[in-house]
Amino acid sequence: MPPYVLPDKCDGCKNEADPWCVAVCPGNLFVIDPVTSKALCRDPGECWDCMTCTIFCPRQAIVTQVQYQLAPIPAELIPRLGKRHITWTLIDCKGRIYRLENTILAGGEED
Amino acid sequence: MRERVHIDTDILIVGGGTAGCLAAWEARKVGGPKLRITVVDRANIRHSGSLAAGQNALNAYINQGTPEDWVAYVRYDLLGAPVREDILLSVGYELNETVALMEKEGLPIKKDAQGRYLRRGKWNIEVNGRWLKPITAKMAEKAGAQILNWVYVTELIKQDGRCVGAVGFGVRDGRFYVIKARAVLMAAGGAAGIWRSRYEGDAHHRMWYVPFNNGASYAMMKRIGAEMTGFDTRMIPLRIKDTYAPAGTLAIGVNAPMVNALGEVFMLEKEEYVRMGGHTAPTPVRVWACYREIAAGRGPIFMDTTRGDPEKVAGLREQYLDMSPTTVLYWAAHDIDPAREPIEIEADSPFLVGAHAACCGAWTIGITRMTTIPGLFASGEALGQAPSRYISGCWTCGRIAGRHMVQWLEGEGTEVPELDPGLVAQLETRTFAPLERWSKQEFFTNGKPVRGVLPREMEAHMQNVMEDYCGGRIHYFTVSEPYLEIARRRIDRLRRDQLRYLVARDLFELERAWDVINRLDCCQLVIEHISYRKETRYLGFVTRTDYPERNDAEYDCFICSVWHPETDTLVFKKYPYEQIVPGDRTKETI
Ligand code: SF4
Ligand code: SF4
Repeated sequence: MPPYVLPDKCDGCKNEADPWCVAVCPGNLFVIDPVTSKALCRDPGECWDCMTCTIFCPRQAIVTQVQYQLAPIPAELIPRLGKRHITWTLIDCKGRIYRLENTILAGGEED
Repeated sequence: MRERVHIDTDILIVGGGTAGCLAAWEARKVGGPKLRITVVDRANIRHSGSLAAGQNALNAYINQGTPEDWVAYVRYDLLGAPVREDILLSVGYELNETVALMEKEGLPIKKDAQGRYLRRGKWNIEVNGRWLKPITAKMAEKAGAQILNWVYVTELIKQDGRCVGAVGFGVRDGRFYVIKARAVLMAAGGAAGIWRSRYEGDAHHRMWYVPFNNGASYAMMKRIGAEMTGFDTRMIPLRIKDTYAPAGTLAIGVNAPMVNALGEVFMLEKEEYVRMGGHTAPTPVRVWACYREIAAGRGPIFMDTTRGDPEKVAGLREQYLDMSPTTVLYWAAHDIDPAREPIEIEADSPFLVGAHAACCGAWTIGITRMTTIPGLFASGEALGQAPSRYISGCWTCGRIAGRHMVQWLEGEGTEVPELDPGLVAQLETRTFAPLERWSKQEFFTNGKPVRGVLPREMEAHMQNVMEDYCGGRIHYFTVSEPYLEIARRRIDRLRRDQLRYLVARDLFELERAWDVINRLDCCQLVIEHISYRKETRYLGFVTRTDYPERNDAEYDCFICSVWHPETDTLVFKKYPYEQIVPGDRTKETI
């Protein structure tokens, strides 16, 4: 389910010491293109589909797709990271929209 | 010579996972504020390794009964295999306490109506575990350990028969790291990617276990002569087809029965499977049964979620978001609703693990977690013959290792000798050799090196050999000596005269090069250990067609090997199995 980056949304994490996607990938797969200053997954085949990059991107610039050899398009899963929850918007191939949520940290209910 | 980083530490932890981070925490607790602790990881410990996508259950927890009952269960679940009951008991005694500790650190654990941990089966509890890894990493951070992210450890250093540190390269900065340590903990995970992946191209890493765990734990310990054990087992996980997400959430999580294409709940309806334990038969037996059904023309196999507990089935997507978002997106892309249709399962390719349902790892002395190399400890997946510890057991094991390392430092593990500069230089050359070779290459018009082999090419060759000759999917995971002999010849060939052609164009490819070097060492361990055990003890995981029966007289024991570099051979020895928890090993006690 490799991640692909939308050029209009990615700002190269200008204000971060380390771009988020580059800092979190367990496979060291994200790099910034020196020419465009935008991020890309340098080898989609190496990706484990953990979606950590997608979750952390502050611009929601990373789109996660199921490999076409495994599933047809379109369907989307869009995470939004809060302090204690991740809220996911799931859009299935029929266009139905679901809002899902998982708790990530115990403690107060506030995000 | 590359730019060097020299580090001098008391405790070096290779791998910042469940075992590594908790070892750091415990070592600080018992070792005091002066102790120097260093954690090295090839990625960022907050998100690296097999917990990168989270997990929705802790599969080792004592919900009822005693630690002894849990050990009896672990033994049973691997067909009454010889397991290190001393090690497992040491884990069992502290499991629940460790889980409570991690709950305090922020892990959301689900509760039942009475406020108790929500159980899923006898030995499991449900968690919201998407953030398991950052929560785990925080333990090492809180311990004040020096954390070296993005450093790939290539070799352990052995001097005067003792482990005195490790070397590696910065995957971002390209520097050569030389770390001198008084005690070293190997906790760098198990091995994925030994056998051919189910899919190719952009899906070749679509697998259950994290593909960045390359067997470095096993390979590095083997290379410095530690006694290695348990490679005659391997884990073949039954998983959701295509996404290879855990299926336990469907089985014990929502009570969906496993059915064949005829809708038969074969584990409960057929005498031959009932005899072996029915739907709670040992894990390898369930794999074997599925493939037996498929071979008989009754596949595919499904988890019939339409017959599960409807309320729980409705919450499945949330449960999978905690560990496999892929599955949720895959269902959406295929318009699959588990409430309306059964979910197909199949086996993923085999993996080498020590803390899941297999026994791979280093042999360790008593419950100290010290390997046969003084100063080198092993925990997590790197610890042999103590299966089914899972996440909570690895946390616990890390703590125990941390404690014993501190003890060692206070006793025999006093000052280490100065590192031998000649040896360090040799290790540096070895570490960067694939890069050096690249710089000396000539290239074809399309950029392919003339006499160089790319890591991906060598990996594919290796995986093809393992798949075709060491019990891959195409043989329904069965194996026999004539096949093993070909596997041995071809893997030996790769290891002995092909590695000199391995090239890497940049640091990213150097990681891949070392991945394949480590995996090839794992292949040797697997082939030789499976070949040595001339019986079928782990039906389903290692089914030998040439020795289909168990042979207790010869093999009801632990099998260990030591690598001899001069001859590139493994020399085997046996240790007797010691039963501590009494009773029939093929039965659970509760
Ligand atoms: S995290 Fe998002 S915005 Fe930042 S560099 Fe990566 S893709 Fe671009
Ligand atoms: S999904 Fe995970 S493995 Fe893949 S690029 Fe993103 S962070 Fe890396």
